[in-house]
Amino acid sequence: MSGVTIVLLVVIGLPVLAALIGVLLYNRLVALKNQVEAAWSQIDVQLRRRTDLIPNLVEVVKDYMSYEQETLTKVIEARNHAVAARGEGRAATIAAEGALTAAMGKFFALAEAYPDLKANQNVASLQEELSATENKIAFARQHYNDSAMSLNTAVESFPSNLIATRFNFQKSVYFEMPEEARQPVKVDLR
Amino acid sequence: MTEPRGPWSAPPPSGLARTDFHAAIRRNAWNTAWLCLVLVLVGLLLGYAVGWAAEFYVAGPPGRDPVLDPLDSVWGLRAAAIMLAVSAIAIAVALTRGDRIVLGLAGAHEVTAEAEPRLHNIVEEMALAAGLPKPRVAVIETPALNAFATGLKPQKAAIAVTRGLLDSLTRSELQGVVGHEMSHVGNNDILYATAVGVLVGLIVLVSDAALRSLRVASYSRGRGSSRKGGGAAAIAIVVVLVFAVLAPLAARLVQMAISRQREYMADATSVKLTRNPLGLIGALEKIGGSQVPYEGANRAIQHLYISNPLKSFKRGAQALFSTHPALEDRIARLRNLG
Repeated sequence: MSGVTIVLLVVIGLPVLAALIGVLLYNRLVALKNQVEAAWSQIDVQLRRRTDLIPNLVEVVKDYMSYEQETLTKVIEARNHAVAARGEGRAATIAAEGALTAAMGKFFALAEAYPDLKANQNVASLQEELSATENKIAFARQHYNDSAMSLNTAVESFPSNLIATRFNFQKSVYFEMPEEARQPVKVDLR
Repeated sequence: MTEPRGPWSAPPPSGLARTDFHAAIRRNAWNTAWLCLVLVLVGLLLGYAVGWAAEFYVAGPPGRDPVLDPLDSVWGLRAAAIMLAVSAIAIAVALTRGDRIVLGLAGAHEVTAEAEPRLHNIVEEMALAAGLPKPRVAVIETPALNAFATGLKPQKAAIAVTRGLLDSLTRSELQGVVGHEMSHVGNNDILYATAVGVLVGLIVLVSDAALRSLRVASYSRGRGSSRKGGGAAAIAIVVVLVFAVLAPLAARLVQMAISRQREYMADATSVKLTRNPLGLIGALEKIGGSQVPYEGANRAIQHLYISNPLKSFKRGAQALFSTHPALEDRIARLRNLG
């Protein structure tokens, strides 16, 4: 091989190689971003289900829990706030839903103290439905955060960060829970 | 459908696949392709051997050379062609309706969310945690403790658990078991395992038939003349015997080779999904401690279950031949995770 051929190979080959790697990195970023979007839509389904269920539950339990008006009002407020936050972007939704999760946690804990509630078939099935939804939110959130972490790692680390900056891939926000919501909600589903 | 993906295509959208397991998915697609290829080759050889032996016994005219040239058998070619067609059909069936066949073999029936709300909720939770679509949910009406997943791709899977498991496990234990099965779904272990179950079942069927026809043939021949060289007859018998014994043996080896590492992997992934090793540990302890026999467990799909329904293996030499690691070993590994 003559010197000219080698130089030609290097001059043509290196950019082609770089372009190939760039395409692969770009495709990977797109896949990660789509995964985060899909994970978010899974959470969204469950969050909407929860906001649909809460008014029914509150309607049914308010006669039993007349001494807990404050808690019920907080749940309703948090719920309305969460619905209002839907249009204000992901960070607002996360904050509002976190507050709602915390309020629901308090409600579930209080409801334990009312045996009459458990006896009511209607309440029992609503409560089972809601706590199952809470569980699903938790697992969907777990998957979303894992996906967001994969995307954020790719966006930040070399060399994919070059592609990410060039094509404007943003880091995703994590779905964090406020401190008071981290207490485990004790619900017996059996 | 099953071909490995090229470097240009985007990775599959499933969470497990994307994050850790797209290598496992690719490996399962390759393994399934290899399995089909081996099955076709074994089918061709087996068909030719049986055809040759049949021609030798039945059609060998007295005037001809008593030793039929093993490479020049018209019946052998015909039988091989038939076997080629049969294995092509078998593969087509296994890769299109394999999941339904496996569910049928196990006697599992699909249940609605109204009938089994707890199980449905748990399956949906684990699907959410894995970022997969929710599989179909089925129950096997037996008091034994077991579960399996089947399907041909992660997007169209089914998870089946026994009635005994539903009745004796707590919610978090059941969650651990479903998480384990969900990991098989995400890895697409279910594709390979389902194909193995259906195709191996067929191999066993065919070689059983071969053995039986050989017995009949040699019996009827024994009554007739023994002029045709005894050596050649012996060769024929040996050839057929070798294939008739080899085929199920190979099938069993395939079955054994596939799953031990996967079980450890699925256990670990289950913990990743539930974030709670104690659930799966408790479930495995209950399953291992259960003395309830699994009536009517099918050999062909024993490798799909979370714990082998046919034998309870102990550690040691037997572990070499098991489709599953000993439960004690799995529990020990899970304890190390925590």
